[in-house]
Amino acid sequence: MHSRHPLMCTDQSPSQVLNSFQSQSKFGSSKSGGESTDSGSGVNTNTLSSSVAEAQREAESPVSAKVSSSLDHQKLQTPMEMAASDTSTLPSPSQSASKAAHDKRKGGSTSEKQLDAKTLRRLAQNREAARKSRLRKKAYVQQLESSRIKLTQLEQDFQRARSQGFFLGACGGANISSGAAIFDMEYARWLEDDHRHMLELRTGLQAHLPDGDLRVIVDGYISHYDEIFRLRGVAAKSDVFHLITGVWATPAERCFLWMGGFRPSELIKILITQLDPLTEQQFMGICSLQHSSQQAEEALSQGLEQLQQSLVDTIAGGPSIDGMQQMAVALGKLTNLEGFVRQADNLRQHTLHHLRRILTVRQAARCFLVIGEYYGRLRALSSLWASRPRESMMNYDNSHQTTSDLHIVQATQNHFSNF
Amino acid sequence: MHYQTESWGSYLPAARPVGVLAGDPVERIERMAAESAVVIFSVSTCCMCHAVKSLLCGMGVNPTVHELDHDPRGKELEKALARLSGAPPSAAVPVVFIGGKLVGAMDRVMASHINGTLVPLLKEAGALWL
Repeated sequence: MHSRHPLMCTDQSPSQVLNSFQSQSKFGSSKSGGESTDSGSGVNTNTLSSSVAEAQREAESPVSAKVSSSLDHQKLQTPMEMAASDTSTLPSPSQSASKAAHDKRKGGSTSEKQLDAKTLRRLAQNREAARKSRLRKKAYVQQLESSRIKLTQLEQDFQRARSQGFFLGACGGANISSGAAIFDMEYARWLEDDHRHMLELRTGLQAHLPDGDLRVIVDGYISHYDEIFRLRGVAAKSDVFHLITGVWATPAERCFLWMGGFRPSELIKILITQLDPLTEQQFMGICSLQHSSQQAEEALSQGLEQLQQSLVDTIAGGPSIDGMQQMAVALGKLTNLEGFVRQADNLRQHTLHHLRRILTVRQAARCFLVIGEYYGRLRALSSLWASRPRESMMNYDNSHQTTSDLHIVQATQNHFSNF
Repeated sequence: MHYQTESWGSYLPAARPVGVLAGDPVERIERMAAESAVVIFSVSTCCMCHAVKSLLCGMGVNPTVHELDHDPRGKELEKALARLSGAPPSAAVPVVFIGGKLVGAMDRVMASHINGTLVPLLKEAGALWL
């Protein structure tokens, strides 16, 4: 175990080191906070200062050669660091410096030297531990600093890219409009909020909260949906295709998309089985809601179909029609798309609000939990599908197939443990 | 006083009070709306109008449809409708009246259908039977 003495480890003269201790006394007092050696150093100040004096005398004797050679590896540390790291073990360096000066004049005996050696070793061990702790802290802070700089750079890059209409990452460098990129970001945040709301709903139901408290949570969830409809309204103005073709959605959701979002009557079908017990009146109300929703959806779908037909008629026109004129007319027709997405979202929003009115607070809480869980699972299905093991084109071996099926089942079980 | 002779002349200007009120778009609209239980103001090429027609016909209603692009003063009527329903002039149609009273554009019609208030309104106006 190498004992380490501050004065032995530098190329400076002892007095120079002491001077540097004095000048850094401010640092020393502020650093003395969390280090375990400090409590020790306070007690040992007197011993330390006398041992400092002893060491000074030893430096001029042949005995010191052994000690200093063993400490050569410590010279990697800069003098300033050494001084800084050791300052906290000297809460009152000016005091100890004058004491050290005073002790210089004393003569030393052998027993004093032995006592000092043990103490020195203990103190050295303490200092070593403190030094290592400080080095770790320094490394951590440096890591934080570089991460912060990297984060700032990333943010700047992203802002620049966004203003240029690029979105790197999931789209693999494909150009998407800034309106779409903004919506995707806001939707991602909305999904995080959704997860939080779901947790609230679930714990609220399990804790059997009073209706008043549960109502707050349920109304919060409705506002959460109102928010996404508002964001979709903004997105529809800037990039209706992004919304209506479901670029923002996961593949499984996208496959079953209706007019850029969920089909209200489908949702009600899911809920009807999960919401018992319902009163007769409630059941009638929900069936009626499902029916009118279906009619409205059908009407909107027919309207959209007519838009498509009209568009086809415009751009599939014969050579006699002026090309630019044709395109201008077609562009005019496309602007109607926004109206359809808006109406579809209105339908969704009104359906959710009306559902809230028909149901009791507890039923409404369960209802929204069911909705949230359903979409969570649909999104999870998309991920599982994307990561499923695929058989090679050459291998049609049945055993290979069952292995991959097993993997899917295992992965599914793991994934659904959250539910 | 000013009036237009329409090719399919629907009324005789002389029999009507002269002045600004004659042929006033809002008055015309109100008159047309009162003529049937369910009246839709539409433009033949408008897809949303097609949607609202589909909705009402699908419910078993037999609405009276006024295609404003076939009316020589259609533009005026569109502007007046936009003011009445609160919609922007570019999306003035479709507008639905039930029992002579304004219901509104597509969003209001759908909202009232979801809320369950549309069917009673239609029954009240005699447009729907059980």
